[in-house]
Amino acid sequence: MKKINSFILGVIAMCLTAPVFTSCGDDDDNVAMENIVSEYSVNDKMVAEQKAKSGKNEAVLLVAFGSTWNNAFQAFDATKKAYEAAFPNADVYVCFSSDICINRASAGENKDDEGNIVKRDYYEPRYLLHAIGAAKYGKIYVQSLQVIPGEEFAAVVASVKKFMNNGYIGQAHLDDKYLAKLEEDEAIFLGLPLLNDPDVDVPEVAKQLNMLYSSEAAQGVVAFMGHGNPDNYDTFKANVRYTQLEEELQKLNSNYFVGTVDMDGNYKEDVMDRMKDNGINNGKIYLHALMSIAGDHAHNDMAGEGSDYWDAEDETSGDNSWFEFFGHKGYTPVVPVVGNHPQGLLELEGIRNIWIQHTKNAAFLEEAYHSMYPEE
Amino acid sequence: MKGRLSLIMGMALLVISQTLTAQAPPSHGERAGGGLLRTDTIQEVVVTGTGTQRLLKNVPVQTEVISRKMLDSYGGKSIEEILSGLTASFAFAEGDMGSQMQLGGLANNYILILIDGKRIHGDVGGENDLGLIAPQNIERIEIVKGAQSALYGSDAMAGVINIITKKHTQKGIFADNSTRYGMHNDLRQHNTFAFNVGKVGSQTNFQMQRNDGWQNTAKEYAEGMVLTDSKTKTVNKFRNWQLAERLTYQPIQNLELYAEGSYYIKHICRPQNGTHPSCDVYTYDLRYNNASASVGGKYYLEDKAKGTKRNYITLDADWNKHAYYYDYTARTYENVLLKGEKYGPLDGTWFSVPMYPGQSKLQSDQQRVMAQLKGVFYLPCENTINAGMEYRYDYLNAPDRTETGTADDWTSALYVQDEFDKLSWLNVTAGIRLVENRNFGVRLTPKISAMFSAGDVRFRLGWSQGFKTPTVKELHYRYLHVMGSSTFFNIGNTKLNPQTSNYYSANAEYRGRKFTASVTGYLNKLDNMIALVNVPVGEIPAGITTAYLGDGSTNVQARMYKNMDDARTYGIDVTLSYQVIKGLTITGAYSWLDTEANLYDVSKNRMTTVVIDGTAHHKWSASAMYSHTFCPRYKLGVNLSTRGSSTRYYQNNGNGKQYQIWRINTTHDLGKTGKKLAYRLELCVDNVFNYVDRTIHPYHLGNNTSGTTVYGTFAIKFNYGKRVNQHKLSTKSNYNNEED
Repeated sequence: MKKINSFILGVIAMCLTAPVFTSCGDDDDNVAMENIVSEYSVNDKMVAEQKAKSGKNEAVLLVAFGSTWNNAFQAFDATKKAYEAAFPNADVYVCFSSDICINRASAGENKDDEGNIVKRDYYEPRYLLHAIGAAKYGKIYVQSLQVIPGEEFAAVVASVKKFMNNGYIGQAHLDDKYLAKLEEDEAIFLGLPLLNDPDVDVPEVAKQLNMLYSSEAAQGVVAFMGHGNPDNYDTFKANVRYTQLEEELQKLNSNYFVGTVDMDGNYKEDVMDRMKDNGINNGKIYLHALMSIAGDHAHNDMAGEGSDYWDAEDETSGDNSWFEFFGHKGYTPVVPVVGNHPQGLLELEGIRNIWIQHTKNAAFLEEAYHSMYPEE
Repeated sequence: MKGRLSLIMGMALLVISQTLTAQAPPSHGERAGGGLLRTDTIQEVVVTGTGTQRLLKNVPVQTEVISRKMLDSYGGKSIEEILSGLTASFAFAEGDMGSQMQLGGLANNYILILIDGKRIHGDVGGENDLGLIAPQNIERIEIVKGAQSALYGSDAMAGVINIITKKHTQKGIFADNSTRYGMHNDLRQHNTFAFNVGKVGSQTNFQMQRNDGWQNTAKEYAEGMVLTDSKTKTVNKFRNWQLAERLTYQPIQNLELYAEGSYYIKHICRPQNGTHPSCDVYTYDLRYNNASASVGGKYYLEDKAKGTKRNYITLDADWNKHAYYYDYTARTYENVLLKGEKYGPLDGTWFSVPMYPGQSKLQSDQQRVMAQLKGVFYLPCENTINAGMEYRYDYLNAPDRTETGTADDWTSALYVQDEFDKLSWLNVTAGIRLVENRNFGVRLTPKISAMFSAGDVRFRLGWSQGFKTPTVKELHYRYLHVMGSSTFFNIGNTKLNPQTSNYYSANAEYRGRKFTASVTGYLNKLDNMIALVNVPVGEIPAGITTAYLGDGSTNVQARMYKNMDDARTYGIDVTLSYQVIKGLTITGAYSWLDTEANLYDVSKNRMTTVVIDGTAHHKWSASAMYSHTFCPRYKLGVNLSTRGSSTRYYQNNGNGKQYQIWRINTTHDLGKTGKKLAYRLELCVDNVFNYVDRTIHPYHLGNNTSGTTVYGTFAIKFNYGKRVNQHKLSTKSNYNNEED
């Protein structure tokens, strides 16, 4: 075969002049570098102005994945307000780790809770952290708005570590003395996700959920839908929190169940199996999202309906929502809504307060980091 | 295997020792097809199936032709309109990424589109940009279904569309201008300037197209509800232009050389007035940039005195580029892999790099170098050998869409085909194509067609094997595909296997002077078919999940290219044509299709069977063409046509509704034939009964027409020089061989 190949190649080589493949690499690289540096200064300026205006020396940075949904933006608005009330000496910033969500939010027009058209600019955590450092806030809280300490939270931790290592390029280098002082003063804090501590957070969240939904649990099943990480991305083995939460909730009422979209062995059909094991074969099932905001999963994967979309051949398919699935299985699903939307956890005051407590009790970055990575 | 390879190599070398190759479909367009403005199809000449010129009636490989007469009468503004209006085999859904074309249930990446025998280059999401081809410049279109032609590549599993362009080879000067304008600010401009002096010829083509796009509905399902003020358009605004040049030189009687090049730009402008971040907000427009350069030649081994059967060889070398950019209209963070020491601690990390309005960013640059060597030899006992070799090198530069920034691949092929015509009632055309791919080794694909003749009746049987290696993009490319409120993250898969196919067809045809009828049944069985399949987050490479998928608060669905276990498409095509009276011809086409694809679901340990997305069981088209010369200075043409489709089936986002659309086009040729100047006026009302599909976004439409649209075209032609004989071709001799 090699002979044929060589022959073909030989003929071709005679026929062709060597192709010159153009590349835009260098130009693109320069633009990327310039834009990164420029974006640092845009963020720096915005934060500096805020700091000058407020005169505050503390900053709270809330890091969420993000959303493109207006009801989610309103949930972030409410969260920011609650944090401003809880941290009167701090400037509160909300940032998204999803580029798409930032891009689209800032290009659209959105409505606040009173129906006024507002422009929403969210920021990217790495740029915003830099700006907070450049403004030399004396105390910085970085709070993860994730539910479990999973893969996304690991990315938040990495960003903060990079910030403290002054991991920025060229002119964007931060003042090393300032960073050293921040470390010396132990003045940078990492707020952990909602269900971080199985012994403290999980029972507290269970208690708060029970306070909200005990009347529903008295009438039927209350099933929560979390996200979960697939097995190969189960960072910090965080998926177990869903199981732990179900156990805690069931101590309060055996009608509570917690399932997920992505955690292996804890999908909607697994939830149903556990319900049947408890002898629940029919009746009402109230569906709630166990996610910080109610976005696509809450609306489509949990509450979605429409006979056109029911996959009868594969009932457990991801395309079949929890609402449809339990409906087809003889239960009576109910999706409680507020203003036409299911609620996200950030919209529940009691739960939101747990996050706020996490920020208030946040450990110094190094301690928090070592608790996540004991081997380092 | 070794022995077989040696045999093939021997055959190929035998041929090559006499020759040198390359396929440029014979540049006979103007002479053969172009002059044939007669109402019957008996003299239609085709080249695609066998690579040699044959009367359509006598081509052993079943070929469907859209003649120049049909094109002129129909007045289509684009290839999409022409193929869907004049055949029943194609389905389209125009989108930003391309034309979303389907033939026999299979998508664009199984369809080989040739312009004058050369494969067009570049795709976005597997879709080719058919805007590259100006309808005014088309001489005729030939369609061969299935991987039936050994000459053009075994990857054409659905079929080959060969678009033969107009070539102005007569001595003197030729110039024309065609300007078409219609609703939605639709402008289609085309110009040709050609001259032939002595041994040198030149042809320059310029085209410009634009359309403001339209919106069939302001309703869009997003954020768990139906929004009523969406700005998402059904078809986005676009504009493009292209400049192409072809130089020819005939240094000696037996040698024709050419060099050609082209440059093309297309801008797609997306709505900038959207307000909902969840569905109708766009922060960048799209731009495509193509360039090409080719050189080649054709050498006749015998002088003209030998007659029509002159052995020849051709050699072509091509370079093509298809680059795809984002042009930013608002600040947009892009997830970019930073590489280089200058990034210090950020070197080697994926980082959110903002792009600002006015800036552009390359998304992908596909480049290709091809060389083809081909020879046609008339051997004793009525054997015609068509043999050649082909080499193709593909290079992909996609800094943020591949793991390492670039990827490449090469494929080479040897092929031999014999047309055996010894018996008056039987023609057998058999070919083999040996394909070698860098990653996937060697594969031999045989093809055989037999035609039985009895008077004006023909029976054809065909079997062909196809072999399609995963494309560079299918292996390595990953990108975010935003479609209004639906966002997909599509991921290449380096574990893909090549696709293979077996295509079987049977055809019966009657082709008389006034009436033709053809029925074809086919079965296309594909193994390892590659498709984008929804995958759980766990299958996505690390790093991408946090950047794009998050906690589900935004709706990004991950999809990966996977080999489906097998798929099959089968159907029946019927075409009819009847010349009622002189000047009035009616034609009809009907296509029945069914598809099945099987996918093994590993997580559930079972097989699922699905209909291939976009399948419609019934499609049809029909037209009545009337023309009459009222006086030497005025000829009227009227074309009334209809096309329709039953429901199109999709796995996600609903089915496309059935539709039927009517169209009337009138042509007015002004000025005496034979004069230097000729004028033509066309007036067209498309979608006469104002059919509009107002299905809400992002669900599938059956047809994306905006409703009744009116167009007008004015064309002027200037021809100064020696005329060619309009009726050069004779059907008296050579019942099967029409090679010039």
